Amino acid sequence: MSAVLRLARQFSSPGQQAHAATLGMWVFLATELMFFGPLFFGYWYGRQTFPDAFAAASRRTDIVLGTVNTAILLTSSFLMATAVEAAALGGRRLARLALSGTAALGLAFLAIKGMEYRDEWQAHLWPAGSFVLDGGGRLFFIIYFAMTGLHALHLVIGICMVLAFALRERPPGQLRIAGLYWHFVDGMWIFLYPLLYLLERSG
Amino acid sequence: MNGARRIHRRNLIVWQALLVLLALTTGSACLPLGGWNMVINLTIAGAKLLLVALFFMHLREAHGTVRLAAVVAVFMLLLLFGLSATDYRNRRIHPAPWQIPQQLPDQLSGRR
Repeated sequence: MSAVLRLARQFSSPGQQAHAATLGMWVFLATELMFFGPLFFGYWYGRQTFPDAFAAASRRTDIVLGTVNTAILLTSSFLMATAVEAAALGGRRLARLALSGTAALGLAFLAIKGMEYRDEWQAHLWPAGSFVLDGGGRLFFIIYFAMTGLHALHLVIGICMVLAFALRERPPGQLRIAGLYWHFVDGMWIFLYPLLYLLERSG
Repeated sequence: MNGARRIHRRNLIVWQALLVLLALTTGSACLPLGGWNMVINLTIAGAKLLLVALFFMHLREAHGTVRLAAVVAVFMLLLLFGLSATDYRNRRIHPAPWQIPQQLPDQLSGRR
């Protein structure tokens, strides 16, 4: 027995309801993109205005942990996609396993991010008080903490959502919508990673 | 269950492609290519996002309105970037020496 989605009164068919839900989620994700947008623009402005300071500041980030975290998030997205397909095809056990894996990888990402924050705090890279870099470097780290912080907040919400789906069986259509959110958060990190970690690493 | 196997295999291939792209972007960042580093990094990021959107987010088989919502979102963001960038790129900042506002000394000394 799998959970079945109840047809809401305003829809004439399950197909129409599913389509409306998908479109609604994509429109929500569009507003989320606008939410992240100003930070990306602020980054662009800083990079144009203080190119050397940005490059020097970016080299202070931990590239190993950043790369590991990117691989973790990409893998979590793969598990999420697997869960969505499995649930749609009735593979409840596989779906549950993949969802647990997704949540675990999300938590691992946050733990590693927390380690990075701790190291940066100890290296006086938090842009306040006894901050070690000047002018443009401060702007870089303001943007760094704002972007990774906003991303981490989204990930926390995503993990709670994934756990809710892992613990209780819900209609596969709902899981598909939830998956879109998870992949979006992954997509934001795909751009944060090269912008924040990979500036002038060759020197 | 054959269809299920095929779809899981497809996702597996997409995941492997994503990891290969990650290795490429990290590797290329270590080469001294000047301005091309950022171009390559952003191109690879775009390719990764496209893979995630098309396969994991089902944009490939999505209804036209859904695809439109996705494309319009990116288009709007680029449009706003373009407008803001035109502003910031053409701004001239004329620094003026700091001075005490005219009315402030009077108020401080109690005169009106």
